[in-house]
Amino acid sequence: MRRFRRLAAIAAMLPLALAGCGGGAAENTEGTEVTYWLWDSNQLPAYQACADAFHAANPTITVKISQFGWADYWTSLTTNMVSGTAPDVFTNHLNYYPEFAGKNQILPLDDLVSTDGVKTDAYAPGLADLWVSAEGKRYGLPKDFDTVGIFYNKKMLADAGISEDEMKSLSWNPTDGGSYEKVIARLTVDKSGKRGDEAGFDKSNVKVYGLGLDENNGAGVGQQMWSMYALSTGWEYTDKNPWGTRFQYDDQRFQQMVGWFRGLIDKGYMPSLAISRSGTSVNDAFGAGRYALSTNGSWMINTYYGYQGVEVGTAPTPIGPSGKRATIYNGLADSIYAGTKHKDQAWQWVRYLASADCQKAVGEKAVVFPAIPEALTIAEQKFAAKGVDISAFTVQIHENTTSLYPITDHASDISAIMSPAMDAVLSFKADPSSLSKANDEVNALFR
Amino acid sequence: MTAMTTRARLQAATATARRRQVGDPPRRRRTGDLPVAMAFLLPAAVGFAVFYLWPTLRTIYLSFTDYSLLTPPEWVGVENYRRVLHDELFWNALTVTVEYVVVNIAVQTVVALGMAVLMHRLTRSTMIRGILLLPYLVANVVVALIWYTMLDAQLGIVNQALTWVGVDPVAFFGETATATPTIALVNVWRHMGYTALLIFAGLQAIPASVYEAAATDGASEFTMFRKITLPLLRPALALVLVLTIIGSFQIFDAVAVTTKGGPINSTRVIYYYIYEQAFQRFNFGYAAAICVALFAILASLALMQLKLLRAGDSDLD
Amino acid sequence: MSQALSGRAAGTRSRRRRLSWQRMAAWAILVTLILITLLPFYWMLRISLSSNRNLSAHAGSLVPPEFTLGAFRRVLGIATLEEATAEGGSGAQINFWRYLVNSVLTSTVITVCQVFFSAMAAYAFARLRWPGREKVFFVFLTALMVPPIFTALPNFVTVKQLGLLNTYAGIVLPYLFMTPFAVFFLRQFFLNISREVEEAAIMDGAGHARRFFRVIVPMSSAPIATISLLVYIGAWNEYFWPLLVGQEDSVRVLTVALGIFRSQTPQAGPDWAGLMAATLLAALPVIALFTIFGRWIVNSIQFSGIK
Repeated sequence: MRRFRRLAAIAAMLPLALAGCGGGAAENTEGTEVTYWLWDSNQLPAYQACADAFHAANPTITVKISQFGWADYWTSLTTNMVSGTAPDVFTNHLNYYPEFAGKNQILPLDDLVSTDGVKTDAYAPGLADLWVSAEGKRYGLPKDFDTVGIFYNKKMLADAGISEDEMKSLSWNPTDGGSYEKVIARLTVDKSGKRGDEAGFDKSNVKVYGLGLDENNGAGVGQQMWSMYALSTGWEYTDKNPWGTRFQYDDQRFQQMVGWFRGLIDKGYMPSLAISRSGTSVNDAFGAGRYALSTNGSWMINTYYGYQGVEVGTAPTPIGPSGKRATIYNGLADSIYAGTKHKDQAWQWVRYLASADCQKAVGEKAVVFPAIPEALTIAEQKFAAKGVDISAFTVQIHENTTSLYPITDHASDISAIMSPAMDAVLSFKADPSSLSKANDEVNALFR
Repeated sequence: MTAMTTRARLQAATATARRRQVGDPPRRRRTGDLPVAMAFLLPAAVGFAVFYLWPTLRTIYLSFTDYSLLTPPEWVGVENYRRVLHDELFWNALTVTVEYVVVNIAVQTVVALGMAVLMHRLTRSTMIRGILLLPYLVANVVVALIWYTMLDAQLGIVNQALTWVGVDPVAFFGETATATPTIALVNVWRHMGYTALLIFAGLQAIPASVYEAAATDGASEFTMFRKITLPLLRPALALVLVLTIIGSFQIFDAVAVTTKGGPINSTRVIYYYIYEQAFQRFNFGYAAAICVALFAILASLALMQLKLLRAGDSDLD
Repeated sequence: MSQALSGRAAGTRSRRRRLSWQRMAAWAILVTLILITLLPFYWMLRISLSSNRNLSAHAGSLVPPEFTLGAFRRVLGIATLEEATAEGGSGAQINFWRYLVNSVLTSTVITVCQVFFSAMAAYAFARLRWPGREKVFFVFLTALMVPPIFTALPNFVTVKQLGLLNTYAGIVLPYLFMTPFAVFFLRQFFLNISREVEEAAIMDGAGHARRFFRVIVPMSSAPIATISLLVYIGAWNEYFWPLLVGQEDSVRVLTVALGIFRSQTPQAGPDWAGLMAATLLAALPVIALFTIFGRWIVNSIQFSGIK
């Protein structure tokens, strides 16, 4: 019995003892600590450098950065918002910010912006508009941007007798695919060495697919999968952007494009949905020499150029029936949590993140494209020093052929409807016309 | 002694075993050992109340509300439950989950039982037991990811090996027909050693004398398995089945890091659907209602199992 | 008791002598199962010793295409930023030993407390008679069916209100008192213990505490060792809860810290080599622990009981 009592006593004390020793986390007595979250570990060093520089300039404020993987980031953030312990400042995404703004979880920055005279036209054109809500309130200052382009395997191009210049002037249409599809067909090689445009090509035994299919479910946006084709027909996602309330997946141009796109699978030029989803990312399969071309976002540049044994080049997306190229133009921004206890300090940090000083530091690392043009120039040089020409991704900004990422309410509900709908079409279990029904479901959300 | 038939010896030996295993104390006063029982239960009860009961009650409450997580809940009565009944995706998720559970449990139980009996009858090596438990040491997310790459249609080593022996590659995770069974089998890999260990603990409780008696009379291994192991193992097996089936219903991580519910809705298992509703679509109240519905299904399932398998006692008749 | 033990030993010996084709076949099956268990581990090792940069190009190679310990260096936090990025890793800082200590500490506390308290509860459910016993037990059991994603949020709020965010106590608290699994498991084995043994203790005038410690616990040494092992592994692999509660570097556990290798960026995919190296390294302490202490746990409980 004595032993039992002793054990029980120890057991009862354990939590208390643990509470004691865990509570020793450094409490900053001097100055304020601003907490900041981001999800991209590749950018962590750049932002840590920013935080250090910021602290040097503002000795009373210390920035504490935490990084979470993309999947954990949002669940963790939401849980902390519910209990009022969310970080003072966090990297925000267009899919999430309308929800957070609508539920008053993030602070409108308008007063702060006007008081301090921050110029929102300092950023690449259009970027700052992404972060203004339907009510006209600003919830973030842009930090970077991305566009979509084509990555190609230089050796495969040479083997097929296609020049790199040719790649820069490809055109596309939904009927026969234009010169773009011709290139894709030519780059496709079956097991016996026959090319996709040659007689006797065996589409059920393909060794190299001309075009890779992304393993991510593009849902209703298809950012790096099909958006550049759809948008180049003149089609738009919604009646207006941002803050559209009627989606247009029932449009003929859109459904025609989807029909052409999945036709590539049927012809053996692109892997089936099943293959693309069976375990390897589109970029890894590209790196393994299974795909000759791969459309992807500018945020993937370092990944594509990192594969050993593959020489990579980039080209802008093809010119469509509208006579212009197209790409989604998207970006991130930093938002302030509405429950922050250090609003002023948080704002100073956000302002610094959006400043030329910090963005130049980010540009130095050549990981993403900073939102401020002069910082972008630095990034451009740094990328070039690594042997990467990013003009395929920036040309559309100069030619003004970009389209803003579709910003609407109900983003995750729309994705939940469109993901299975697009899967069904791309796996030939439903016709492109079935997307009209999905479109009705999507539009019903706005009623 | 030698004149006894195998059957008679078996019966005698197992009857002794059975007598040894009946653990209920003689009846006492109406309240019995209540005060002592409360003392023994106290720590567990505190933990149960704070970390299980309270969240459950809260979930039940929220299932009657419209709650987006970030704004206060609003009472909507049984509206969420009405929606559940008419939600095709809920029924789809339930079907997919049941498909998963059936494949997962059937294969896993057979393999684990075989494994446990083999270990029990062949070797006492803790090393082999340790090896078979290794997959369980790896987090389920990583288990899913490693199989995901190994089974890839173009680059996976399994498909490479298939090609070497002349079989065409299979997109295990990518086809709607194979995705769910594939995830189920991947989880069998992680849990077979663990389940075998649970069954093994039950096997150890069977007195060795029973096997000796049978062995002396020349009973084959198979007869011993059928006449001794299976009947005497029933309580342990019941326990393992209840635990693994309930665990199996909670399949989530493997889906979240591989197929994410696709292709189409073929792997959108119930927990993944709940997670999407709660944390991605912010329909927390609705997700709570699905949770409660699932909870009811699982609880009745467990009750049925316990009754059917009479987990409380063992027998040999 | 000692008779049963020696009898078992004798039985093992007599069985071992008979090597029939049946036993050969049985061994063949067991060896196959062991191979199926081990092959993916070889693949993990093979990936962990490669550089991410050439993994894809040599997907079918059975050995690392270009042997490197870079992934292990990243996991241990001794790789420089340049080194890490050169092999396709990330710029995250890893304080491996600190997280290892945190993991060992929290897992040990969870295992000791949870098994102990669960055994107490199991004793009440299996060896004591009181009204409503089965009903209360079933209610306990239903806790198994509450999905963790629904307990996480209220429990997070509870722990926050107790002021235990970013403390060891906050990380271990929900697992400290019981899990339905451990209670259910132990109850099932306590039920099987012969009444006669306990009655002898009652004759000696032993109270419930003495019977629990001197009879029931020692006689259930094997199941207790088993459940301790399983609880420890479970605690060791716990990810989402410590991610929510233990964000501070000082209390961060290994699984959370190594989660970085799983998703560096939203679309670019994991640092495969780093992830596999992290997985193998994180499993090592548990393996070592149970190689060293596994037998000791079983033996110590057995001996203290027989005396």
